[in-house]
Amino acid sequence: MSGTAALWATIVAVGALNYLSRLSFIALFARLEMPPLVARALRFVPAAMLTAIVVPAVVFRAPGMLDAGWTNPKVVAALAAAAVAWRWRSVTATMAAGMVALWLAQWALRTWVI
Amino acid sequence: MAAAVAVRRRPLPRHFSRPDFVAGIRDMTPPLIGIFPFGVVCGVAAQSVGLSAVEAVGMAMIVFSGAAQIVATQLIAAQAPVAVIVLTCFVVGLRFLMYSAAMAPHLKPLPARWRHVLAFVLTDQAFAAAIRRFRTAAQPGEGASYFLGTGAVLWAAWLASNLAGYFVGNVIPAAWSLEFIVPLCFLALLVPALDDGPTRVAALAAAVAVVVLDPLPMRLSLVCAGVVGIVAGLAAGRRGGSSQRGGG
Repeated sequence: MSGTAALWATIVAVGALNYLSRLSFIALFARLEMPPLVARALRFVPAAMLTAIVVPAVVFRAPGMLDAGWTNPKVVAALAAAAVAWRWRSVTATMAAGMVALWLAQWALRTWVI
Repeated sequence: MAAAVAVRRRPLPRHFSRPDFVAGIRDMTPPLIGIFPFGVVCGVAAQSVGLSAVEAVGMAMIVFSGAAQIVATQLIAAQAPVAVIVLTCFVVGLRFLMYSAAMAPHLKPLPARWRHVLAFVLTDQAFAAAIRRFRTAAQPGEGASYFLGTGAVLWAAWLASNLAGYFVGNVIPAAWSLEFIVPLCFLALLVPALDDGPTRVAALAAAVAVVVLDPLPMRLSLVCAGVVGIVAGLAAGRRGGSSQRGGG
């Protein structure tokens, strides 16, 4: 590919299809009645999708490198953050606890394990 | 005549709730600490493959999706055909179809222009925060205003972080691991969503599936694990007889 016009065409096309994916069912189900099975399935979208985003970010040390054990500081931090989220239901407290736990776990591993 | 004009002017104030809009901005501000490094990475990537500043900012403004921008940047650098770039970015963003369906019932009572604007800011973060607000909202306008607030602050921060990455480079030390704030934010929104047996089954199934399916290309493991989780949740709900609670 060459030229600024072709590059802009690509950017706009990527953006347009991206926007259409986001608009798709919002626009469709504004006109059509939602099938009951779909309505029941949608209840699980947040739980399933948020898990699918969180888990790889925690249990993979690097792309393709699975490490779900105690020696992975991100696992320790995620467990601490989940406990805080469960008890206090606060996004800010969860993020703060998770980051502090991550830094402590990284420091502890550097100090005692390696 | 005067009534017609008044009606035409009314829709925004009728649905717009300033306190909810402000609450959306406020709630999305702490997670920005984690989103900023991701935007910086996108800006650095755009700069390193030779995009101009205007092109880099244009991409951030129009595409407004970190994963799609990274993929598009890499494929532009590899001189891939336009069709390949566009389709790959579409596949990377397949989960937006699910978000869109989940948002649809909440946005249905609103005027079409609300739907058109809110669809543009339907990102992972805005979805996760706003879907929760809609469940407790007395009126759809409250949830929609909150959603608009989260989307607006995310979009502004996204542009700023992409620009910072483009012009300043990777100034945030990698050892700080600030990008980990993003999964922590999702975790904080996930835990309260696990409020009954079937949702926990859905989450567990999605967790296993996303690890098993990780080798799939184009981040397909994400959307496939989402589908596996939803099917598992439906099955658990049917077996447990708690499906009457569904539909929300």
